[in-house]
Amino acid sequence: MSRRHTSFNTALTYAAGLLFLAIFVGPILWFIALAIRPAETAFTMPPQLTFEPNLDAFRHILVDPGTNAPQLVNSLIVAIGAVLLNLPFSVPAAYALSRFKLRGKKNIMLWYLGLLMAPPVAFLIPYFILITRIGLQGSYFSMILVLQTLTIPFSVWLMKSFIDEVPVELEEAARVDGARWYTIMLRITLPIVRPGIIVTSMFAFVFAWNNAAFPLVLSSRSTATLPIGTLGYFATSGVTWNYIAAAAVLAMIPPMIIFLVFDRYVVRGLTFGSVKG
Amino acid sequence: MHTTIVRSPRALGPARKSFIRRNLPYLLIAPSVVMLLALIAYPLLFALRSSFYFWNLQIGPEPLQFVGFENYVQAFNAFDFRAALTNTLILSILGTALEFIFGLAIALILLKALPGMNVVRALLILPTTIAPIVVGFLFRYLYDPGGGLLSWVLQSLWLPVPAEGILGSPSTALAAILFVDIWQWTPFFAIVLYASLLAVPDEILEAARLDRASAWTILMRIKLPLIKRTAIIIVMLRFMQIFNTFDTVLVLTRGGPGTSTRTLGYSLYEQGLVNFNIGLVSAMTWITVLIVNVIVALYVFFAFRNEEW
Repeated sequence: MSRRHTSFNTALTYAAGLLFLAIFVGPILWFIALAIRPAETAFTMPPQLTFEPNLDAFRHILVDPGTNAPQLVNSLIVAIGAVLLNLPFSVPAAYALSRFKLRGKKNIMLWYLGLLMAPPVAFLIPYFILITRIGLQGSYFSMILVLQTLTIPFSVWLMKSFIDEVPVELEEAARVDGARWYTIMLRITLPIVRPGIIVTSMFAFVFAWNNAAFPLVLSSRSTATLPIGTLGYFATSGVTWNYIAAAAVLAMIPPMIIFLVFDRYVVRGLTFGSVKG
Repeated sequence: MHTTIVRSPRALGPARKSFIRRNLPYLLIAPSVVMLLALIAYPLLFALRSSFYFWNLQIGPEPLQFVGFENYVQAFNAFDFRAALTNTLILSILGTALEFIFGLAIALILLKALPGMNVVRALLILPTTIAPIVVGFLFRYLYDPGGGLLSWVLQSLWLPVPAEGILGSPSTALAAILFVDIWQWTPFFAIVLYASLLAVPDEILEAARLDRASAWTILMRIKLPLIKRTAIIIVMLRFMQIFNTFDTVLVLTRGGPGTSTRTLGYSLYEQGLVNFNIGLVSAMTWITVLIVNVIVALYVFFAFRNEEW
């Protein structure tokens, strides 16, 4: 291959990289710009690239009148709650599936996966009626509870892949020393696999945070989460795009940070541990 | 799954094994299984029973009368439900296929491993991280006929944009929804395929190059077969996710104009949460669940036929 040919290829590759960024990141930046640009410049033809940025929209949604500030807190409560509730269910299951001989292990794993693929919208009405009957409508707990249908199967799969990587010899050694199974699990395996638990919790948090279907029917005015808040602007006449964008940007930030910080584990998280990145 | 060395718990001699010891793995799994069964079985059984009743929450809080299979007949005869089924299949099949192809192309370019391309790879995943509802708003803004960036770009390229907007015209709305999904999920395929292609051993590729195999042959005969497992899994995941989509549609078009972008997920949403027609939506739920299961079963059967799972 000639040198000129190679440098041409290199240039082409970089051009492609820039094109990808323009296509996949450009629209996000354009939407963030909507949140900080003067409202009257939002829909100009041709689009206005330069403007005086301001934080009026953020002030409106967070401080005065601050409709979305409590929703931001609600989103945090529901997503963190869903992750915390999921751990005592998924950690032991992942441990058992990784370490023990089990009849029908393959089917059990596939069953968890099947649940992740169930249409959530089909369950909304039954959940709505069930939750109303037991008097939990509008509560944080109702949302945290039904989110377990997502977080538990997800965490079992991802966590199992992390536990699989812990060499079984360490446990064998402890067993020879006479340690009980729960001592081994709690004192040896779980501490080693703690980074895996953190990674799993982070991605489970994103799952719960981005879910809008369950809060749509189960939340009340005072427990509504951020995505529901953005829908609220839409219901009012005269769409207030700057406010929608500001609230949406708030909703976008935590998942983006988690994905960028845990970059190494993104592939694994997105494929429930079935593909090692 | 991965092959791991599975060791049974320490043998204590059958007589001394307590109940807990003997059933330990099952007891560790039980809480999650019981929890999930409770959360899944209830809605399904509830829907099964309700699907045989005429029951509309706008008329009364309780089921009004037993109607047999009437709701199922009504669902299948409803023009909009059949349209939803067609649209959902179009979106799922085309979406998954195009995202795979585009994702693979991007992955192959990322593999060139030039300095700085890592930044591109890390940022590329951003669309996938955004909540579908937010993506819906983002594209409503871009598609806006009165000043949306995408509408403007298309017009500037002398491409015809319908007067009622890209989302407002029956001829372009479904394609617009498809484009949104492709935008959000192509990076997912790109990143996952990139990671698995990276694991293909260099020696194999080197040997193929020495044999003067073309890049295309190497891709089709070596790279793709080696990442088949990954490809099978992500295609299935993605297909099911698109099949169940409703929040993007809710924000972008509410299934319109007419029935042009109605999906199964949106139909369920509308019958259940707008019309409160519990009997009918329950029948639709079961039809959807059955369709999903048949597709997954067929897919798993054919895709994993020759695979060690």
